[in-house]
Amino acid sequence: MTFAGTERRRQLVTAGIGTALALLMGTVLIMGFRLATHMRADIVSLQTASSLQAYPEQIAGQLNALRDRLEVRAYAGQSLADLQDTVGRFDHDLKRLQAGNPDLPQLAQPLRLWRQYSPVLEPVISFSGQPYVDSDTGSTLSREGREHYAAVKQAQRFAAENAHALRQQLTVLAASLQRAASNAAASLRALLAAGVLAAVVLAAVAAWFQFTRGRHERAAREAQEQTRDILRTVREGFFLLDADYRIGSVWSEALTRMFNRKDFSGLSFEELLKDLVPPATLATAAKYIKLLWGDRAHENLMKTINPLGQLEITANDGHGGKETRYLQFDFHRVTGAEGVRHVLCAVGDITSSVLLARELQDSQESANSQLDMMLGMLHLDPLQLMSFLDTSETGLKLVNAIMKEPARSDAEFRRKLAGMMRELHSIKGEASILNLRSIASRVHVLEDMLAECRKKPELTGNDFLPMVLKLDELLAHLRGVREMGTRLTSLRETAPSTAGAPAGSAAAQPAAAASGGVTPQRRAEDLAPALKGMAERLAADHAKQFSLSVSGLADVPAPYAATIKDCLIQMLRNAAVHGIETPDVRRAHTKNAAGSVRVDFRRAADGFELLFEDDGAGIKPETLRSAAVLRQLITAEEAAAMDTRTSMALIFRPGFSTRDEVSMDAGRGVGMDVVARSVYAIGGKIGVSTHPGKFTRFRIVLPPIEGAQSTAVA
Amino acid sequence: MNARRAFKLMIVDDSNIMRRRIERSQQFEDLQVVGTAGNGVEALALFSQADPDVVTMDLTMPQMDGIECIGRLVALKPAVRILVISALADKATAVEAMERGANGFLNKPFTDRQLNEAIADLMRRA
Repeated sequence: MTFAGTERRRQLVTAGIGTALALLMGTVLIMGFRLATHMRADIVSLQTASSLQAYPEQIAGQLNALRDRLEVRAYAGQSLADLQDTVGRFDHDLKRLQAGNPDLPQLAQPLRLWRQYSPVLEPVISFSGQPYVDSDTGSTLSREGREHYAAVKQAQRFAAENAHALRQQLTVLAASLQRAASNAAASLRALLAAGVLAAVVLAAVAAWFQFTRGRHERAAREAQEQTRDILRTVREGFFLLDADYRIGSVWSEALTRMFNRKDFSGLSFEELLKDLVPPATLATAAKYIKLLWGDRAHENLMKTINPLGQLEITANDGHGGKETRYLQFDFHRVTGAEGVRHVLCAVGDITSSVLLARELQDSQESANSQLDMMLGMLHLDPLQLMSFLDTSETGLKLVNAIMKEPARSDAEFRRKLAGMMRELHSIKGEASILNLRSIASRVHVLEDMLAECRKKPELTGNDFLPMVLKLDELLAHLRGVREMGTRLTSLRETAPSTAGAPAGSAAAQPAAAASGGVTPQRRAEDLAPALKGMAERLAADHAKQFSLSVSGLADVPAPYAATIKDCLIQMLRNAAVHGIETPDVRRAHTKNAAGSVRVDFRRAADGFELLFEDDGAGIKPETLRSAAVLRQLITAEEAAAMDTRTSMALIFRPGFSTRDEVSMDAGRGVGMDVVARSVYAIGGKIGVSTHPGKFTRFRIVLPPIEGAQSTAVA
Repeated sequence: MNARRAFKLMIVDDSNIMRRRIERSQQFEDLQVVGTAGNGVEALALFSQADPDVVTMDLTMPQMDGIECIGRLVALKPAVRILVISALADKATAVEAMERGANGFLNKPFTDRQLNEAIADLMRRA
């Protein structure tokens, strides 16, 4: 408003100067015109007066000539005519001069003297008779002629006496007129000079105002540019709300990034938030904004109850997807003499702060979980832990190797992806069985990334880059766990009481465990407790009830130990997720609420046999076929042509799963193919038999080992 | 602060302990507790007789909650200053209370200093 007031004042001053300039110039021009007119009249009069000066002498001369002619009786008609003409012109010019300068005092004397000429000249110039009569002795003056001659003689004497005086008076008159003209010229010059000076002054003033106006305009423009720059650069969204809760015409560019729109001017605050927040929040926000205009609102109180202090909004990410962002609205009332004029709204994108806070919370939780893990590790046998760490590290190195394998086509990238997923899935399974959740969850995150990759229509090497970091992180975590395990081992060794711990065997291997190398001979152990622990966890996680009975695992030969372990982990996971029904479903099918899973390993005539059986829902071949079609492993035509046996074999195909939802334990489509491959790798066979609604049984047959000693799974 | 007159305070809270706490913690010589009420109905019954300048108001109370009570008290005496003291961290409720006529908001739990500052703020504006 101050700027607008100054501008109006400046416009008024400019208009005033313009008017004054126009008036002054008009006055100068009018006065100049009048002076010029006077000058012109003076000059004409001067010319007339100058020409009149010669007349008295001329009249006197013509009277002389007329007298001479009359005396010698010569023809006098022409002389009389000349005299008449001269007197007529003199009289006419003198009267015109009088008419042009009625108040001129110098004109009075010549006029007076000329009036004395009139009675003398009148008889002469009015003569029209014959001056001569002819006789025998020649021409003599007639009576008229004698009278005429007498008049001429008198006039000639009068003119001779007064011609000089009359001329003198006319000269004085001319000089007077010349002075008047000269004075008028001087006045005109002075007037013009004054006019020019005034015009120059006014022009200078106008120029000064123009200059200051330009300077103010420049300053205003610069201020506007600075405001624009600020609004373009500032990271907060700024705008003013008017009494109708509408956004003003000036707002910062950051708003466009925050709200993915540009039509803020005139937009109501409610419209701004309408599509971003739930209706209840919108209603509260509207009430809050209304309160800001009331007299009960004051800054601190309004800040305390601000419902938009941390607003979660879901918006388009500009790539066709949705993203969640957190915005913080701050409101400040802009007051004037008449009360609240505007409400200044500052919007900050606090997504990173919120995420950071969450990250801190997560890391706190992670620290807690590490502590939990450490406490859990206290219950683990160090050698079992080290064995897991060895195999996991090997597995992760394999994942790393697969990642680095050269690939060009999409199919090659997808093969790499499948290989990595299988390895990671095995590691996660083992981590779960040992209750090492921090490792399992990290592998799960990595699996999520791979699964996201798999959804992409076209894969490139760049898609694998983010996983390198995660893999490094996971390896570092494994090293941390190993270190922690080593410390725990040494703690156990140095503890005064080692009751309950396998002191002798643990003491024999601390160096090897600490070095991270794979110890050739692990202590014999039974997998059963670990499997039971995993079963309990799976049952709790998936709201299932089942018992696990295990027999014969102590007889597993050492070369088969790892394979048997992998297979059991996967099959137990499948049974818990797919096989065993929830208690309600089981009861509805007149089954016991709690299911049962049976694991039996035994020597057979031609080697070894592992039976894994659950009394769950069984597997329907058509379910397998439709799941395979859905995952584009086979076509609908191929599915239609499949018999039951071929359909059941689908379960061992890479990338197969009947589970839509991904969890830590199933649904990624890897698992049974890993089982099958590892069984085939050691020369074994795997088969599945099922009865829908009753059971699923896997039978793994392994060849005999010559000279092999039975040992437990390590 | 010249020509000080005593401000009259009414405490409305369904918790006896909280009423005592508020009564005990106020440290103003020119503030006099003129009544306490355990719910909105009691507050309304007491209000005309006690004619308080400042009211501390709980929100969650039996029979008549604080939000409704605020509206009724303001209708009876528009000049009354109401400080909402509530454990509800819900901003929507706070906005609702303000809309009905509350003048301040204090979250439970609070310190004596916070309470005194909030009451002093209301007295300044009374």
